[in-house]
Amino acid sequence: MSRRTDWTGILLAAVLGLVIVVPLVVVAIWAFAEVWRYPSVLPQEFGLRFWNATLARPDVWAAMSMSLRLSVTVTALSALICLPAAYAFARLDFPGRNWLFLSFLASHAFPKFGLLVAIAGIFLNLGLISTFWGVVLIQLVGTLMMMIWIPVAAFQSVDRRMEEAARDAGAGPVRVFWSISLPQAAPTIFAALMLSFVGTFYETEGAWLIGAPEIRTMPVLMITFINNQIVVQYGAVLSVLLWVPSFFALLFTRRLVGSQSFAKGFGV
Amino acid sequence: MSDAAIAVRPVRAAPRGGGLTGLLLVFLPVGLLAWLILYPILRAVIRTLVVQTGTGPALSLETYRFFFTDGYSLANLWLTLWVTALCAVLLLAVCLPIALYLRFAKSRIAALVQGLALFPMFVPSVILAYALIRTLGPNGAVDLVLNAAGLPKIASPYLTPAGPVIGLVWDNIPLTVLMLVAGLGNVSDNAVEAARDAGARPFALLRHIILPQIGNALLVVLSFTVLSIFSAFTLPYVLGPASPEMMGPFMQRTFTDVQDPRMAITQAVITFAICAGFGAFYVRSIARNREASR
Repeated sequence: MSRRTDWTGILLAAVLGLVIVVPLVVVAIWAFAEVWRYPSVLPQEFGLRFWNATLARPDVWAAMSMSLRLSVTVTALSALICLPAAYAFARLDFPGRNWLFLSFLASHAFPKFGLLVAIAGIFLNLGLISTFWGVVLIQLVGTLMMMIWIPVAAFQSVDRRMEEAARDAGAGPVRVFWSISLPQAAPTIFAALMLSFVGTFYETEGAWLIGAPEIRTMPVLMITFINNQIVVQYGAVLSVLLWVPSFFALLFTRRLVGSQSFAKGFGV
Repeated sequence: MSDAAIAVRPVRAAPRGGGLTGLLLVFLPVGLLAWLILYPILRAVIRTLVVQTGTGPALSLETYRFFFTDGYSLANLWLTLWVTALCAVLLLAVCLPIALYLRFAKSRIAALVQGLALFPMFVPSVILAYALIRTLGPNGAVDLVLNAAGLPKIASPYLTPAGPVIGLVWDNIPLTVLMLVAGLGNVSDNAVEAARDAGARPFALLRHIILPQIGNALLVVLSFTVLSIFSAFTLPYVLGPASPEMMGPFMQRTFTDVQDPRMAITQAVITFAICAGFGAFYVRSIARNREASR
């Protein structure tokens, strides 16, 4: 291994830093700017005035509560429906198992927004447009694949010898699952839960298409702020607030996302 | 997790009665998949092709005929095809060097590069859209810096087709890099070392040793990119021009504002048809991968 300075790496890091970090830093500066008039490179006045103004808006609180309710409901339902299925795919043998598992991975093979429009056509007849449960259903579809294949990988990596040892010592199947299998799979399953919570929190397209005009989530509110060009800082403050869940996801799921098996799920 | 974690491995010592229990456990998600993915697609195709006449159902291509003779619809389709193709090329051009670097780098800077390349995964599209407007929009941060340096302002990409292109490339960097790095994992160090020892230059190495081995990964990346960009909504809606518009915003407007679900679903079926080849390739590739790792 050479000890030369890694110029390629430095160059890539610098370019990526410029392109990826700078736009976000600009938003962060806007969030704390009270006066920033062209052509000053930095704001003329910094302060928290617009934080108070944004947080005093009832529509922001309504959207925040709607987003949290949706994300909690969707993640809980998704876990309830998908985790037992993931266990079955990983550990039980039943007819059509491979074929059904493949069909979950294949659910990414359709252009997503086209699919949403097709679903919206059905929801229109069922009266689910612009209702809470309509949005829950559409967002649930988005979490299905991730909540199946990440936990399947987690259940498969559980050490079989420990389970067999527990069974030899007289533990029943439920006890083995609860005390041996689940604790070992838990960190990965937690990461999957985190990813589906955050994914649902930021889901924009289904909420926009199915939820409008009654159901307004944070991302939908953000789009109206951008389109209506009201005070720049409202959008900036909302962006910083909106990014908080993502920050936690970043902390807890980085290892999973960086792993090879994550990319495998996309068929590479 | 192991590399092959994603494949469903054969079950050793399956418990008796596992068949029925297994089917019961997967019943709900499979049912949801059938109801909310398969059924809508089939129904969309049937609903746009069959009309109810006085004498019963009849085949009709009326909405499709309208789409393919309407100048505005065709302009939208062309714009979408263009943006998709351009994004795919740009993504490969940007991400292949990053992936190659990450595959072969051994320095500590590689971790930083990986972190930066994956970071956009944790930035939701709406925040990205807003950040790009504030940075590249009229009188945005780039204009401020250029102005301070005494240079002319940029031609802002905001509300032009370049806006969604920049946003979509930015947004798709992490998955593209991840998939390419995974694909490059198949290239053996030995082959590369041997070629290097034989005096192969980096470019020859790339062309003759590396590219032939990651052909499949490149095609999967291409399929995935086409599928996600072709019907993108948020970024084209916020950053793109109002007319012509990309298929995502076009479908949304037809459905919600024009209130013509049948036409909107026709547009959706057209996007399915155009993406079908890429989707089929994607599924085949997943299936083959799972065969291989079993």
